[in-house]
Amino acid sequence: MTTLLAPTKPNTKGDIVVGVADIAVTDDPAARLVTYALGSCIGVTIYDAEACVGGMLHFMLPQAKACPGRAESRPAMFGDTGIPMLFDALEDLGARRDRMTVCAAGGAEIIADNGHFKVGARNRTLLRKLFWKNNILLSGEETGGTLSRTLFMRMSCGTVAIRNKSEERTLWTA
Amino acid sequence: MDRVEQLIAKCDGLSAFPHTVISVASMLADGSYNPDEMERLIRTDEALSTAVLRAVNSAFFGVPGKLFELKDGIVRLGSKRLTRIVLDHKTDELFVDAGAAYGLRRHGLWRSSVAGAVAAEMLAEKHQACDPSQAYIAALLRDIGKLAIESSLGSDALAGVSSDDAGGLGFIDSERAALGVDHPEVGAALAKKWELPDELCGAIRSHHAPPAPGEEGASALNDVVHAADTVAMWSGLAIGDDGLCYRLADHVEESLGIKRKEIEGETAETWFRVREIESLIGIEPQQGAA
Repeated sequence: MTTLLAPTKPNTKGDIVVGVADIAVTDDPAARLVTYALGSCIGVTIYDAEACVGGMLHFMLPQAKACPGRAESRPAMFGDTGIPMLFDALEDLGARRDRMTVCAAGGAEIIADNGHFKVGARNRTLLRKLFWKNNILLSGEETGGTLSRTLFMRMSCGTVAIRNKSEERTLWTA
Repeated sequence: MDRVEQLIAKCDGLSAFPHTVISVASMLADGSYNPDEMERLIRTDEALSTAVLRAVNSAFFGVPGKLFELKDGIVRLGSKRLTRIVLDHKTDELFVDAGAAYGLRRHGLWRSSVAGAVAAEMLAEKHQACDPSQAYIAALLRDIGKLAIESSLGSDALAGVSSDDAGGLGFIDSERAALGVDHPEVGAALAKKWELPDELCGAIRSHHAPPAPGEEGASALNDVVHAADTVAMWSGLAIGDDGLCYRLADHVEESLGIKRKEIEGETAETWFRVREIESLIGIEPQQGAA
């Protein structure tokens, strides 16, 4: 049987590193999903403890229509294509929406971006709209500001944490 | 000797811009270089020869079943692509292990520099603002001040500097408060020491705060490099501890005629082009599962 997105094997340190415009799912309870240095991009984690599956997305921009010629080759680059892809891939691995824990981090902004750009804010708006439409509540979130954030999720317990420099904060734990 | 000069003087490994880049650039400048001479020059640099061969035999330029030798490769790539490969490769050699002082991982400073360079070239072309090749080089070198600061003060030089926007300070102000200098002015001084053209020194100095039209030092090149730096941040390629703690100059949006919808497309395109460059010169893409 083929899956929508094959589970990723962790590296020798047990990490599954999710790059920019990247997505990964896993059913390995020993793995840790990590994405480094979220700026205006947003990292989304989903965990289903009962099915022991989880995944992470690192999207860069809100909508795929920003880059129509290239978007198809990299759906994880955009929130409106990457987020549904993450949900679908996890359901395909046995997760159920009513058991999912969803967290998000990132969406930072350059200082005094009073113009029309506001990439971080547009990413945050897309995230909220999409989750609101689908009746999904965020269990943990740290977005906005100007900080760079690294996002982790431990598959053994589903704990989600963020780190900035040496400071680590838990976003969600069972 | 002022603080910037003291700092530059301590950069032992950065006394000169790589000789090969200067030589290749000057041979390519008039567009009528001799492939034999170019081959001899590139052969003196083993890693660069390998990078050129890898590029010309890659999926982008290669012909299935055919392996190009160095001289054929030089001719086949042409002057513009060859210049880019030399620049991208040699700056990676300079930047490969740098950036830890700013919270960047291996290749991070290079990746962020190339993202800015690609964006600058796109913006210069699209808005017909300035010479795209000059914009590429200026943006590629815009953060050499970070390299110099780390080289002279060590990787913990900025350990106590806050990257949060508490109090409305940008990172440049925090950097200046902690070190007495900031990376754009140190970079401009290093570029001057390397005897790079004044326009490039100016773009490096003002890449976080370009003078507005009418002010001394204002130029389209400076605006393009500044805007490209922001696009590189939005592309998510190598964000450091300084995060997004920088300001977008008010006048740049208008002076370049940048539109939001277009800039998001250019941000995405930047990511794709950096991936292609990584592949061409043989750098592992930013770690990821896909």
